[in-house]
Amino acid sequence: MSERGKSDALSSILATPLAPSLVAAAHELKAPLSLIRQLALTLEEADSLELPPLERERLVRRIVLSSERSLRLTDALTRQSRLEDGLFELQPLNLVQVAEEVAHELMPLAREAGRELRVAGSHVPLALANEELVRQVAFNLCENAINYSTEHRPITLKLSGLEHGYRVRLGVRDDGPKGFDGALATLARNLGKAPTDFNPRPHSSGLGLYVANKCAEAMNGSLGLIRHSHGSTFYLDLNASRQMEMFGV
Amino acid sequence: MTHAGKKTSREIKNVLIVEDDSWLANNHITIMTVSGYEAKAVSSSEAAIIQIDDKAPDVIVLDVMLEGGTAFALMHELQSYEDTARIPIILCSNIPGELLDHSALERYGVRIVLDKSTMRPYDLLSAVEQVKSGEPLS
Repeated sequence: MSERGKSDALSSILATPLAPSLVAAAHELKAPLSLIRQLALTLEEADSLELPPLERERLVRRIVLSSERSLRLTDALTRQSRLEDGLFELQPLNLVQVAEEVAHELMPLAREAGRELRVAGSHVPLALANEELVRQVAFNLCENAINYSTEHRPITLKLSGLEHGYRVRLGVRDDGPKGFDGALATLARNLGKAPTDFNPRPHSSGLGLYVANKCAEAMNGSLGLIRHSHGSTFYLDLNASRQMEMFGV
Repeated sequence: MTHAGKKTSREIKNVLIVEDDSWLANNHITIMTVSGYEAKAVSSSEAAIIQIDDKAPDVIVLDVMLEGGTAFALMHELQSYEDTARIPIILCSNIPGELLDHSALERYGVRIVLDKSTMRPYDLLSAVEQVKSGEPLS
């Protein structure tokens, strides 16, 4: 399918006017909580298992990172419910700075998962956006990339101007699915769809992409996917802020 | 319950863990390895089939929701061949047990179902040993 065809197909999916159910959210949280519990119980048995200090440290680190991932998910759900109230003000925003902050915050998770996060792009126009929502989208797209990309390959947050500076793109480029295209295809199908009611995997019900898409819409932006020969880019497109033009800048 | 350091001389030695959460898979491997088993993990049904073709495991620990197809696709494939149909399966999932059709699972070679949200790390070892001993299924 051509990029245009994919884009059209994606648009039809994004229009799906469904809301995430409480059941989906509960199941989305269940997997990381189960993992935290298993890791903690294993740590409790560290002496009888004769785990070396480095392995114990790794367990602690993974418990912390999994807890943070769960907290981000609860934040996303809270934010999603506030979206309907239209409480998010749009203002000129430097996406490069937001991307750098998100990359910095997610770096421990990425490294523990054997990935590296990078930021690319400069001289990008300011976006008309809400910082909290952009951060949410960037977090969700990066976590998807961390979960689905090839280990030991970089994940790049790429910022660029589009349409002669009228639009701004924040893309999250990975270097290929770690497993099979099917997983990515499922993600793409789920993009913007309400997550399934029943899916125990922490990152596969589509809840993250659903919330990201709602955040994009709240900023008059859009979410999309480009497939490359190796890997893919999930992106957020936003209107550029033209405010500076009023001052001849 | 403490099983640490317990070595097994039983027939079941090779355990294939099919789990797409690499941190949980790593945890399973730790538990099985210190108990004297040889454990290997893969993250998808497709990778599991390749691994089974290469070296048939004595038991499979299987998550349900996987990359590139669910556990049911893998179980169906395994049932298609006489040799692989005999490999016992321990289902290890976050899906509540009451939502699973246990009689159907049994036909697919599932011997035991573990709930990830309530199991303890050594329950996996107990399940493997229960499969080997031929104790009544749970």
